[in-house]
Amino acid sequence: METEATRSILPLLAFALPLVAAVLTAPVQRVSERARAALLLVVAASVAVMTLVLAAGAAGGSVYDTYILQLTPQIWMYLRVDAAGALFGATVAVLWLLALVYSLGYMRGEHRLGRYYGFFILCLAWTLGLAYAGNLLTFLIFYELFSILTYPLVVHEETPQAMAAGTKYIVYILVGGTLVLLAIVLTFFSAGVQTFAAGGILSSETDPAMLQAIFWCFLVGFGVKAALVPLHGWVPDAHPAAPAPFSAVLSGVMVAAGSFGIIRTVFQVFGPSLLAAMGVMPYVTGVAGFTVLFAAALAVNQDNLKRRLAYSTISQMAYVVLAVSLLGLESTVGALVHITNHAFMKGGLFLCAGLFIRRLGAYNVRQLDGAARRMPITAACFTIACLGMIGTPPLSGFTSKWYLGLGMLETDRPWLLAVLLGGALMAAIYLLPIVYRMYFREPVITPEDLTVAEGREAPATMLGPLVVATALTVLLGIGASLPGMPVELARLAAEAFFH
Amino acid sequence: MDVGHTAHVVAEVAHLASSPLPAALVLGPLVASALVRPIGKRWPGMRNAYVVVVTALTLLGAVGLIPLVAEHHRIQSIVPALLDELTFTVDSFSMLFAIFTSFVWFAATLHSLDYLKHEKKHDRYHTTTLVVLAANLGVVLAGDLVTLYLFFEALGLVAFLLVIHTETDDAKKAAGKYFWMTVIGGFALVGGIFLTFALGGSGALEPLPAGHGDEVLRWAAAILLIIGFGVKAGMVPVHVWLPDAHPVAPAPASALLSGVMIKAGAYGIFRVVTALFRPEVAEHVEEGLWHFSEQLGLVVLWIGIATMFIGVFLALQQSNAKRMLAYHSVSQMGFILAGIGAAGYLGAHGAMGVAGGLYHVVNHALFKACLFLGVGAVYFRTHSLDLYHTGGLWKKMPITFVFMCVAAAGITGVPLFNGFVSKCLIHHAIVEAWEYHELASLGIAEKIYIVTCGGTACSFIKLIGLMFLGKPKMEYGPEVKDAPPRMLLGMGMLATAIIALGWFPQLLIKGVFQPGLHAWGLHGDILDHYLEHSFLSGPDLMSVVTAFALGFAFFFVGMKYHLFHLHAPQYFSIDWWYRQAARGLVTLCVGIDRTYEAVRGGTSRVLRVSRSTYRTAAERLGRQWRLVTTTLLTGAPGARDQHLMQEAYLVLERERQDTVRMAVVYASTHADLDEADGTRLDAVREIAAYIAGRMMHERMGVLGDAMRRGNLEHALALLAAVGPTLAEARRPIAEAAHALAPRRERGESITREVGAIVNSLLSGERFDLLVAERVPASKITLGHAADGLGRARRALPNASDLSEVHARGVSRLENVAAWAVELLRLAVSGFSQERSGLLPGHQLQEETVIQTRLRIQRYARDISANVAIVFVVLLLFAAALAV
Repeated sequence: METEATRSILPLLAFALPLVAAVLTAPVQRVSERARAALLLVVAASVAVMTLVLAAGAAGGSVYDTYILQLTPQIWMYLRVDAAGALFGATVAVLWLLALVYSLGYMRGEHRLGRYYGFFILCLAWTLGLAYAGNLLTFLIFYELFSILTYPLVVHEETPQAMAAGTKYIVYILVGGTLVLLAIVLTFFSAGVQTFAAGGILSSETDPAMLQAIFWCFLVGFGVKAALVPLHGWVPDAHPAAPAPFSAVLSGVMVAAGSFGIIRTVFQVFGPSLLAAMGVMPYVTGVAGFTVLFAAALAVNQDNLKRRLAYSTISQMAYVVLAVSLLGLESTVGALVHITNHAFMKGGLFLCAGLFIRRLGAYNVRQLDGAARRMPITAACFTIACLGMIGTPPLSGFTSKWYLGLGMLETDRPWLLAVLLGGALMAAIYLLPIVYRMYFREPVITPEDLTVAEGREAPATMLGPLVVATALTVLLGIGASLPGMPVELARLAAEAFFH
Repeated sequence: MDVGHTAHVVAEVAHLASSPLPAALVLGPLVASALVRPIGKRWPGMRNAYVVVVTALTLLGAVGLIPLVAEHHRIQSIVPALLDELTFTVDSFSMLFAIFTSFVWFAATLHSLDYLKHEKKHDRYHTTTLVVLAANLGVVLAGDLVTLYLFFEALGLVAFLLVIHTETDDAKKAAGKYFWMTVIGGFALVGGIFLTFALGGSGALEPLPAGHGDEVLRWAAAILLIIGFGVKAGMVPVHVWLPDAHPVAPAPASALLSGVMIKAGAYGIFRVVTALFRPEVAEHVEEGLWHFSEQLGLVVLWIGIATMFIGVFLALQQSNAKRMLAYHSVSQMGFILAGIGAAGYLGAHGAMGVAGGLYHVVNHALFKACLFLGVGAVYFRTHSLDLYHTGGLWKKMPITFVFMCVAAAGITGVPLFNGFVSKCLIHHAIVEAWEYHELASLGIAEKIYIVTCGGTACSFIKLIGLMFLGKPKMEYGPEVKDAPPRMLLGMGMLATAIIALGWFPQLLIKGVFQPGLHAWGLHGDILDHYLEHSFLSGPDLMSVVTAFALGFAFFFVGMKYHLFHLHAPQYFSIDWWYRQAARGLVTLCVGIDRTYEAVRGGTSRVLRVSRSTYRTAAERLGRQWRLVTTTLLTGAPGARDQHLMQEAYLVLERERQDTVRMAVVYASTHADLDEADGTRLDAVREIAAYIAGRMMHERMGVLGDAMRRGNLEHALALLAAVGPTLAEARRPIAEAAHALAPRRERGESITREVGAIVNSLLSGERFDLLVAERVPASKITLGHAADGLGRARRALPNASDLSEVHARGVSRLENVAAWAVELLRLAVSGFSQERSGLLPGHQLQEETVIQTRLRIQRYARDISANVAIVFVVLLLFAAALAV
């Protein structure tokens, strides 16, 4: 189903607007902070609308493309919005908008806000570029840019802890990025410059050793970002160190970007049939399955809430890689849907974690006893997101896990259900005790102890995005089968992959 | 039943009439629940009326299914939501479940209005019950497995709020256990559902097609499904949450939990055994296809027998009335499972089992709800639930007592009460199963069944006897009177139904079971036979008499020998093992985390240590190399020593100047300076300068020796330490200069005196000892090596020799060789500069000059090293070429 692409300015606009906003952040904030907030909000909202329009178009079967820049006579920077990219792009933009609105409340009074907002909106541009990248080189450029330029956001608080986490982050990411670069160079060497194409761009007549090398370079390179064990080391340190809205984006989208890279690689660089012939996928399944269970087991013992959530991200994102490694239609649908669903669930959880920090001064799970009495709405959102994470119907987590399960059956590996359900059970074990504490334990933090905190619900700027994320979690679950929902787009994308 | 007729029925059933009623029944209470809180916040009375009306309407709607189902056999509604769409399909059995569910719900809601007066959070309770009602109806009306799972999970998770409602410590503990069991059951269930897809299922509640998947997969799917539903149904061995959770809830909630909600589990198992794993209804009922179904039925049958026996055994040991009833729920679920299991085992002839199991489902819902409501009424008035502390209540609460007796008669199977019918049906089914393949073990099952009936009888003799009859064991105040009318109304409705179903079994058998079985193509005629010949027949009545005889025997023996207070050690309880397993899992996770952190910490420590080790080693190596270059390659007094000597020189030079200055000052203060003052001071300065110069020269000599021994650095350190000692020589010199100045002025020779002074100063000072130190052997070796290198250098032919050779005329190769040798000589001489002749002191007044010179020297040496290395490489290259 190689549909002829429609030339459209929208992808370029969606990518370029945040760039302009990032440049303007510094001058505008001299005028006033309100002006800066207005600029950022307008840009993020219009970008979200554009990505949604693109997604709607992609759901209608169109593919949009646009050329940005000629790098060399052969290579263009090229954006191409197919169904998979449109889905990921819309997820990115909407989550970013939520996190941005939340930031306006959360970051009030923090230091160096110009830097924070500038880089925050800048990274939106890179991530969208990554979602819409039409060939490997474009993908690589945006991948590297957004990996490296998020460093100031990771270390924003500039505590020694944050600096150490930032160093760890940048070392991991650079090593991963280098491997991706190597893989791309090898791909160009083997297949020349080509846009992503269903069925892959590498031919099966390439030297098998070369194919193996390319594949593993890609996998390890993107695996760092997708936090596959044992390449996950940066995730549990970076999340607690970063500000909460950025943690939400980091978990919801950034880690997913690695998985997205793996999806592109598997389906549009190699192609399912070539990979099946190479016989590498069972190893990937093994690594991903191990990651699901191992990270979940580690999460159980984390007292720091954000750290626990970070381990949960590692575990949940490994589902995506696990699903991709099955090379089945249904499981690919599940993988793409899970990226979106997880973004809003985990985004919501991190936004909650931020509220607990700001309003209760609670960083750790054991400080959350009785939190539901002070912050009923936050606690309710947290509960819904937790249940979604576990895969309780009718929330969105159930939808994606359902398709993952179907994919496992479709590819005739019913025993993998043990991993799927085991991971979900572990999720229950590490998430639900928090919910229980919030509702049914007596609070340990007495009002006198509250120094930073006011111990009440947050203002609407922070609560609003959280409620929207939670509503999306419910909506994407209950309405999963409605037209225009992620499942439809994902199915379109998966069918294109397997065409 | 003739073949053509079956086909006709099947065709009829395949046609689904569409109706919005099933969906409305499920979604109605769900939507209605959203209004409970807004209304209840302001008008609690209105809220009460509201929930009663909602449940009444639901009941009405459920009854409204009867004509629809009678006409169309199966009706369906479809709601587009979730994965694809939610389907609700109603056949006779679903309808039966829906009706008794909403009926008991209505009764319990009436009862709860008064009961809740001593509880808090009424709005939460009512909202929860409405949501749970919706979920429960969703389960029994679900048309496909996904819908079923969705509502099953919702039912389980939301009912958590009913269990924990009182928020006492016991309730929290029980709710926690309930919750985890539910979650795990949910996972088993979803796993099982997935596997049915692997077995070729379409997700509908229809027989799985034969020939898909192997036997192992089939068993795995069946077991997972049965565990998933069994957790909810209180099936042994996953019943452990039930006896904790049901008693801690408020009594009407207990009635719902025990009476209705566990039936959702039974419903699931019923559908698994009789729908999913049943062969397709074909024109010919082929016995061979029933093999798996038979085996599964046998397993369920035995699970049922175990559940009923263990439940009753544990119930007998309880003293808390609600806890006892909860254990009876387990036991009664065993009856139901035994019926369903027998139905599966008997396959095409399983009508009796289906009827028995489902009849008992309805009956148990009625009498167990009534019992919980009755015990709740007792608690409402007396605040006690202990069997051994109450008593004689029949006088105080006569109407409650009557209703309790009716319910007890129902559960124990007194003829003309409902339990009698279902227990006889199940008994018949087990006997049939025994006769079917003559399995001896099923004969034992039948005996256990009778004993269990005896245990049940004993239990309720105990309950009625201890709580309502006998003498009061506590003082009852005036508040202990009959329950309020709304409570009584709720119980009365249930009691009426108990009696009605006991008198008129054909209501269900003819009205529901036969049409339902007929739709499946099973033989329902045997039920007619039962109604006509066996109902209230001699053998059936005899078995009841036997059970009651056993019951009385148990009661009296137990009371006499205090057998009802035995408690087994905890490791006999499955609960204990589950707790150990859960604890083990968490410990495992913690262990994994600790190990991981330890490995991670260890790795980073190893990395840190090896990095610092590497740094130290590199530094040491660098020092050694520098030592080698400064001693071996550049000749003994390498730049480093030179630098040190210059430092020493600076120190000593300063000392010399200070000495001279002091002498002049001394002279100018002590002398009578009127005569020839200028020349006298000149003379003093001259003499002092000479002596101090000699001293300095000697001291430099000592340091020079130290340098040659490679020991200069240490000597310098000592020199810095002995600075004050050196200064001691100033004063004697000044005095001597002062004394000798006149003679000098006069032109006399003072050489000898000066020599004597210097000698005495030197021998007094022993400068060499001050800066001496034992010299390590390695440094001596290095010194020798340096000397050797010097000799080698001198041995090389010099330029004039070479030019001589050149003059003699040589070949080209010799020319190159000569050039190479010259280059080598240059390089070596660049390395080993002359043993530094120290510069004359007077040219070096400033430290900076020395430092600059030093830097130039070092630079020059590095350049020469580079040249040398390049040269060596070239040489090797040339050699390689030549070879």
